[in-house]
Amino acid sequence: MFPGTAAETREERAGMRQGGGENSEADAKGASICCDTEPKRVKVYVLENNEWKDTGTGFCTGEIEELRKDEPSGESEAGEGESGSGGEPSAETGKCAFLVVNNEECPAETLLRSKLEGNIEYQRQEETLIVWKDVDGHDIALSFEESVGCDTLCGFIVQVQRHVANNISLVAVRASNNGTGSVHEIIAGPVSLPSVEKEQDTATLMESLKALNENTAYEYLKNETIEFLLQSSYIDLLINLFNKAEENKQLKVLLLLSSIVKTLILYSNRDILELMVDDSHVMGIIGILEYDTEFPTMKANHRHYLMTSGPIFKEVLPLKNAELKELVKKCFRLQFLKDVVLVRFLDDHNLNLIMDILLDLETCIMSFLQRDSFLDRIMALYNPENVKENAELDDLAEKKKDGIKLLHQCVQMSKNLDPMEKTNFYKALVTKGLFNVLYYAFKMETDSNTRILATDMIIAIIEHDLLLIQNVQHEKLSQEDDAVDMKNDKLASSGNSSGEETEDMKLLAVLTTILLTDKSPGLRGQVVQALTTLLHPDGCLEGAERGYDNSHMLNKFNFGMGPDDDPGFATPADYKSDVTNPDLTDLQLKRYFSNFYEQIAPILFSPLIDMKNGATTTTANTDEQLLIHLVKMVSFICTEHNRMMSRTFILEKGILKSVSKLMEMNHIPQLRLTALRTFKNIMCLNDNYYHRYMISSDVYDPIFILLEENIKKDNLTVSCIQDFCKIISNHCIPTLGLDNNSPSPIKRSTNQIKKSNFVILNKYLVNRFFKVFSGYKDVLFLKDLLDVDERLSNLENNKNSSNTNGLPPFNDEEDTVNMEDISMDSTDHEANAGQNKRRRSAEYDSFTAEMT
Amino acid sequence: MNLDHTLELLRQGKHIPEETVYSLCLELQELLINEANVSYVDTPVTICGDIHGQLHDLLTLFEKSGGVEKTRYIFLGDFVDRGFYSLESFLLLLCYKLRYPDRITLIRGNHETRQITKVYGFYDEVLRKYGNCNVWRYCCEVFDYLSLGAIINNKIFCVHGGLSPDVDTLDAIRGIDRKQEVPHEGPMCDLLWSDPDDVETWSLSPRGAGFLFGKNEVDKFLHGNDIELIARAHQLVMEGYKEMFDGGLVTVWSAPNYCYRCGNIAAVLEIDDQLQRNYTIFEAVQPQDGVGNAIIPTKKPQMDYFL
Repeated sequence: MFPGTAAETREERAGMRQGGGENSEADAKGASICCDTEPKRVKVYVLENNEWKDTGTGFCTGEIEELRKDEPSGESEAGEGESGSGGEPSAETGKCAFLVVNNEECPAETLLRSKLEGNIEYQRQEETLIVWKDVDGHDIALSFEESVGCDTLCGFIVQVQRHVANNISLVAVRASNNGTGSVHEIIAGPVSLPSVEKEQDTATLMESLKALNENTAYEYLKNETIEFLLQSSYIDLLINLFNKAEENKQLKVLLLLSSIVKTLILYSNRDILELMVDDSHVMGIIGILEYDTEFPTMKANHRHYLMTSGPIFKEVLPLKNAELKELVKKCFRLQFLKDVVLVRFLDDHNLNLIMDILLDLETCIMSFLQRDSFLDRIMALYNPENVKENAELDDLAEKKKDGIKLLHQCVQMSKNLDPMEKTNFYKALVTKGLFNVLYYAFKMETDSNTRILATDMIIAIIEHDLLLIQNVQHEKLSQEDDAVDMKNDKLASSGNSSGEETEDMKLLAVLTTILLTDKSPGLRGQVVQALTTLLHPDGCLEGAERGYDNSHMLNKFNFGMGPDDDPGFATPADYKSDVTNPDLTDLQLKRYFSNFYEQIAPILFSPLIDMKNGATTTTANTDEQLLIHLVKMVSFICTEHNRMMSRTFILEKGILKSVSKLMEMNHIPQLRLTALRTFKNIMCLNDNYYHRYMISSDVYDPIFILLEENIKKDNLTVSCIQDFCKIISNHCIPTLGLDNNSPSPIKRSTNQIKKSNFVILNKYLVNRFFKVFSGYKDVLFLKDLLDVDERLSNLENNKNSSNTNGLPPFNDEEDTVNMEDISMDSTDHEANAGQNKRRRSAEYDSFTAEMT
Repeated sequence: MNLDHTLELLRQGKHIPEETVYSLCLELQELLINEANVSYVDTPVTICGDIHGQLHDLLTLFEKSGGVEKTRYIFLGDFVDRGFYSLESFLLLLCYKLRYPDRITLIRGNHETRQITKVYGFYDEVLRKYGNCNVWRYCCEVFDYLSLGAIINNKIFCVHGGLSPDVDTLDAIRGIDRKQEVPHEGPMCDLLWSDPDDVETWSLSPRGAGFLFGKNEVDKFLHGNDIELIARAHQLVMEGYKEMFDGGLVTVWSAPNYCYRCGNIAAVLEIDDQLQRNYTIFEAVQPQDGVGNAIIPTKKPQMDYFL
């Protein structure tokens, strides 16, 4: 139809360029005819007998002619491409447009005067060529000297299409990237839009659907269609058609309408989506989407669900701000579309769009809430000072419960916000009186569900910023204290009534009490999560993922930690250093943890401490599930806290002896293995004090009773013990120089054999459980321990014939030797550290991953 | 807890009280703690691949393959995420496991972890169905106890993902303390994450966890452990199953029309007493509720909303 394929065109273009180049000096004198575009130098070709014939070189202008004589000639009408406002074409119908080329040699001679009319398709081929077939069937090509010239005239054609001759079109044709074909992109042209007739049959709807589908293929058509959808009331029309069709049970129409709405959603346009979920459209749209060509014989009942059994929009207290209310509703409806109505339909692209809109709406809601008085009124429900006013409210207890649900929902919503927004929102919550709410949930309310929600809120806030609650609360109280001294009462009334714990321990104290007293397993799990978050020295358990959130605290918290701590933790710019209290110092943090060990830990671990003090291990109020939590917590503080601080506590209170007892037969296997893992983790710390203590207290004894119970089986217990033994023998290998990768055999100036903690432990275990080990020589991991021991003895005998003692003494001399050993054999140490870390992080994951 | 009643509720996709889930999960812990990292299973047995929360297709699976009363099953993991009935699917399997401990072997998949379920649907599903995540927590505890693999008649090794450079022998798997969140590296991670591919040797996996392994690694593992076949899941196969490496490895996929849109068929692999392989393929069918009414699978909407 039009001149040539892409390949042909390229050839032609090459030829034309040459032609154009010959005359390049002659462009200075522009023809002074009245024109609507700047004249651009061009060669004109026409196709004759299948050959392009050069008909001359000249200057091309786009011209508009007024047909009506009473109007002035619209010079600027189509001159600049951008000026067109897309306004009403009807006003301009009295115009004609032409592409005119005047001979450069003789400006009076017109080489070409071609009207833009009918449904001519203009092709812009590559950068400098415009090609078309006019209504008389002539193929014409304009080859521009510069691409800018081509741009100008294409801009003109676009304007003409908009305002003068709607049915012409401009298409860009480019060779595709792989060079084998061509890519067409519509720049301007008539857009087939869906019918807006009030009555439509299946045929019309089918056509509309087809048009809508086709229009998604090109950016231009898509944008024009979106414009149409937003300007016209097409969606209202669809809903009207739907209501009639549903009334008349016209299934085909219903299915077509559903397909049309789905196609509109695929336009991925935010305005369209928002239009669909506003008050006047949402039910109609959801109704239409109840029909689905995928399930042609069925109908979903979304509307019925929404109106009767579905989620209710609850207003704990009346929401006075209408705009906020609208936002909340919109948010919910979009979520409903995303999660329910369109769940099988949305692709990733559309899903992301909806998520983006939701995030936007949520951000709006959050900032609204900070400014509005609504939250203040909610918080007032829990303020002990308002007892009298609140007493007049109906269903106060119910309102308080719902209020916590509401606050919880706000906090859930806030999780997607950016960190700064989150901080602001949480600060606002605490300032407005969150502590009263928590106090109510934990001290007055006994409903587990409410407590779970309250704990969840705490977790969200402290995972974001560990000290936020504490700092804001602190500021608030000190301000109030400054103002009125007697307000000290308030401090007591807001949760510190026991007067035992310091301000910074208040939250920990409350959570500890709940963990030890509340029997709800779900709540317990959550409280443990909150406790570990509060007690985590990194201040954030998902550090790697959300490091930017908490890195500022990480630095400050990471005091006095052992070399095992990950030094490679990313520390991005501290862009929100204002979040934490500026006078927060390491000292304060140290005090925080020492307060914990003084005030909280003795209570938190009391079931374990009491056990050691002779209380029976299975009292009614210490159930096994609680003990599992506590034993995991022991492992946690041993591995994550300042070594000296936690170790002093653990050893002084004799906690490991209790943990050891929990491996005995009268406990459930889950607890026994949890206890075993705790020893494994502590052992991996390679800490001299722990190692000596654990050997001298015989805490390992129950492990081998546990092993004998299970040795004939292949189960998790055996796997767990196998892992335990493997760690020991693996750690001994470098010491013995059995590892090919290590530079050993150890050359030492002294006659001493290196006695790492693991070598000592291995020797101890072999001595103590020799009977067990030698009874199961076919069990490889036990044999490994024996082998290691034997080789060690050989090595020892060779190197130091005088030292024949099996078990080295645990005295102060030995201590120094040990330290030396560790520091001298760096490969060993590094290997240990690496393995410790891996192991620890693995176990640690299982303990804390719930927080991710 | 009335197991039959719970099973009936589950088959109908109905709500299970939190307390029931809790006690079910505790019982399963006790049961699973006594299982090996690599469970021994006898023939005849039917191997099933990924389920991904497609409860109704899971019911079809049982229907097409003999049912749990008559057939022994190994499930290769990925019970949860993606589909809209992760909880019901997983609990159904747990109930069957409790009812017929010797007839069902459950192997852990890479989706049976806290981290993955938080992203791919199970966590959100629980949150929508219960308003809090307790039930998710209970289930995650059970995930930690699931086996890492199974061995049929000492001849067929079953695992969710594939091989690991750290695992030459089955005994190496026994030494893993499996009760933990799946680590980001190491043998336990690889078993759940690796994929077979046309590679010369161990290669980086595009998944970011586990490895790609080729015929060499498979041959070596088969020979070294004197086994005939590695049966695994983990990858969508449009035809339901796919044998590779001269029949030394098979991928079994049991979620038809995956994600309700992939258009694939599903398969289970029955191993008879002569270790012959017999594939049964099945398609997604129109799901029904408990009383035979057709239903459209969908997510449960969120609970009440406030403000």
